[in-house]
Amino acid sequence: MIEEVHVLGVYMPAALLWAVLAAVLVYLLRVPIQRLPVYRILWHPSLLELALFVLLWWGLGAFADLFLHEWLFS
Amino acid sequence: MLQRHNLLRSIATLLVLIVILAAIYALWLRYQVEPVTRDGKVRADMVPVAADVSGLVTEIRVADNQAVKKGDVLFVIDRPRYRLALEQAEAAIASDRVALAQAVREDRRNRAMPDVIAAEAIEQGRARAEGLRAVLGQAVAARDLARFNLERTMVRAPVDGTISNLSLQPGVYLTAGKAALALVYNHSMRVEGYFEETKLPAIRVGDPASVYLMGVADEIKGHVQSIAGGVEDRERAGADGQLANVNPSFTWVRLAQRIPVRIAIDKVPANVRMIPGQTATVVIHPRKDGREVHRSLPW
Repeated sequence: MIEEVHVLGVYMPAALLWAVLAAVLVYLLRVPIQRLPVYRILWHPSLLELALFVLLWWGLGAFADLFLHEWLFS
Repeated sequence: MLQRHNLLRSIATLLVLIVILAAIYALWLRYQVEPVTRDGKVRADMVPVAADVSGLVTEIRVADNQAVKKGDVLFVIDRPRYRLALEQAEAAIASDRVALAQAVREDRRNRAMPDVIAAEAIEQGRARAEGLRAVLGQAVAARDLARFNLERTMVRAPVDGTISNLSLQPGVYLTAGKAALALVYNHSMRVEGYFEETKLPAIRVGDPASVYLMGVADEIKGHVQSIAGGVEDRERAGADGQLANVNPSFTWVRLAQRIPVRIAIDKVPANVRMIPGQTATVVIHPRKDGREVHRSLPW
């Protein structure tokens, strides 16, 4: 399980990095998902972005643990 | 038509909300419940090596950070002085022997002539011989002690280990009992993980564990050897026999204490060096045998 990541000598929890990556990804994906039909039938369209963010946050961590363990520091 | 559309919107919104809650629950399990800690430390027992006799250090036989075996000589303290003390003790024995022999001869002569010598004088002569025999016994013990001290001027490694923090130089005066260098007892190397008490229910003695040193990707295998028997209760101060001194309540926020969990090392990769004090990430892999503790949900 990848538990911490070092950036320029500072060790930070991996969860923080996944959260930042997820936020950036959601920001980039915002325009494409606004074109989806499901976006228009939600009461609060931004809920979809929030759901995408938490899913990505969790998914990035799980993905990294499964596949990146060999070359990413744990 | 509008009604149906509204229903669809409600259901879709609800579904998205459920997805959000499920993902938050998964994140919570992942980062709050799984028995993982980044606050692990490599630890080993340390022997502060001290001299048993006082004196000037005359010779250092080890270098800093050197590995030593049990019984190796680490440094030597002023042997000439303790050799002189031994010679002095041996001379004292010789002198006591001479005095005793003389007293014994006198005593024997006195007892051979009971008609000429007063009974009191004979008794005194016998007492002097007995006393000198006791003095000789003392002198022999003093000689043995001097020999023992001479032996103890060679300070030896009490355990297998690694010399650490050696700054001793010849010429330093050491007093008996003062630690001169630190010897790290290599066989006691282990990792202590400081786990939050919320993660403790998932950990049981014997569970396999993975340890990752900071900056090292290679896995060190181990298992849970034991869990600390207790940590201090930080809510109360004061000694036994006094009234309890309990801190005022801090109602809103409470922090999880951390409990040391001792990880015995089973296998270290050949290229990984463990140094006591290093930071480590400890991951416990709980065994699934149906004996899990029910843990509470976030509320």
